[in-house]
Amino acid sequence: MNIDSLGRPANFLLVEDNPGDVRLTQEALKSHKVQNNLYVVNDGEEAMAFLRKQGKYKDAPRPDIILLDLNLPKKDGREVLAEIKSEPSLKTIPVVIISSSEAEQDIIKSYDLNANCYVTKPVNFDQFIKVVQSINDFWLTIVKLPSNFE
Amino acid sequence: MNNFDIPLSPEAYSRTNVAKLQIFEKVLKGNVEAIVITDSHGHIEWVNNTFSTLTGYAKADVLEKNLGFLFAGGQNVYEAMRPKLNEANHHEVETWVRRKDGSEFPAEVTLSAVRSDADMISHHVLEFSDITEFRHAREELIRRTEELSRSNKELEQFAYVASHDLQEPLRMVASYTQLIAQRYRGKLDADADEFINYAVDGATRMQAIINDLLTLSRVSTRNTIFSRVDAKLALDKALANLRLIIGETGATIVCDSLPALNADGSQLTQLFQNLIGNAIKFRGSNSPRVEIGAEQQDGEWVFHVRDSGIGIAPEYFERIFLMFQRLHTKKEYPGTGIGLTICKKIVERHGGRIWIESEQGKGTTFYFTIPTALS
Repeated sequence: MNIDSLGRPANFLLVEDNPGDVRLTQEALKSHKVQNNLYVVNDGEEAMAFLRKQGKYKDAPRPDIILLDLNLPKKDGREVLAEIKSEPSLKTIPVVIISSSEAEQDIIKSYDLNANCYVTKPVNFDQFIKVVQSINDFWLTIVKLPSNFE
Repeated sequence: MNNFDIPLSPEAYSRTNVAKLQIFEKVLKGNVEAIVITDSHGHIEWVNNTFSTLTGYAKADVLEKNLGFLFAGGQNVYEAMRPKLNEANHHEVETWVRRKDGSEFPAEVTLSAVRSDADMISHHVLEFSDITEFRHAREELIRRTEELSRSNKELEQFAYVASHDLQEPLRMVASYTQLIAQRYRGKLDADADEFINYAVDGATRMQAIINDLLTLSRVSTRNTIFSRVDAKLALDKALANLRLIIGETGATIVCDSLPALNADGSQLTQLFQNLIGNAIKFRGSNSPRVEIGAEQQDGEWVFHVRDSGIGIAPEYFERIFLMFQRLHTKKEYPGTGIGLTICKKIVERHGGRIWIESEQGKGTTFYFTIPTALS
């Protein structure tokens, strides 16, 4: 499906410090039987370096979608979100906040910073898979995003 | 002598009335409070025995002195109190009294005016008692109350943080045991399958417990937000959350009209959800039927959730509301034993009560009240 709409495999950037969640996301995308590339960084500084193609990320692709955890070492998810949404070249990339926090203030803060949507990590594995696949389907096949000129 | 009223007439000087006056004096002298009588300018004319006991001054030490000397801290409490007597007949303050030896004690002091027939103040009466012990007791009470509410708050906070932070590692355990189950069930040996099942089951039950604990501690720690809530809407939300189990069991839900009242909407939904969920869960072999209604009675709304299920024996009527108390094995009826504790907490946060009526084999009715004063 992704190939149909994008004409190539979709590029995901997952910003997540918990290796367990990284692996779950990989499993979820793998079981979706859709071609995609999942890039993983483990903290906020690395995420910004990846997006700005700095240092070892000089050949990194521009992601089609960013999955961002809120609680990250070094630079936390809220700061990363604020920086992405204030950079003209990055702000059109959909950012999906995936957090274990159900706290109202985290949700409000994220939307204030122009998160494209906020999802809480489901406690059940099947639901986790469903959520990752729904994000994939919605943002990469249903919605219309501006063309990606690099 | 059965009448101590002394007529204000020449007869007052009769022998019997002198006897009565002597009794009055004895009563005043032996009073548990110190009593000082002064003229209208505060010059001491009479003191009782308790005064001497409390202050160490003999009567002769203080006669004709101005009352002001009695108070500690350089502040003439008498002068400060006196003007208040123009508005009221008594004035009461807490202050410090200085003894003859210079030591001081806290006292509750009342100043009153004695008025003449022409409504002129002729005398002042000062009464006081040593309230050292009372103060200690009061301070101790305040300290303990603060301590108690602080430790209570800490405990609630702890429960919240613990259950919240346990979610994250538990999510890992649960997700990965589920993943192992999906991928390897039937591919290892029979033992492995059994072990996997126990691990998945344990993690799933622990999730249910932690979720319920979180819900409970949210009710305890978050402010209950009261607003005008249509109870029918709260019920509809609860039924929507229960639609799966209602569909699976073919439960019939019957509802009278429900009032609008002042309540926390999401807590009211939770309350209906837990009670109706229970009613369906404990349906027994009957096809479940749940009736919900409310009546106004003596300043409160009395809600009921009635089922035709297995019922509860009377000896358990109180116990079911306690945390982790369950009446059945996990095999018969799975559950965390927290649901009704949440219900009780929610009702109490609304200033109401919750109780049940039930007959084994015939069904159970849960009642809860929400005061109309809040409505």
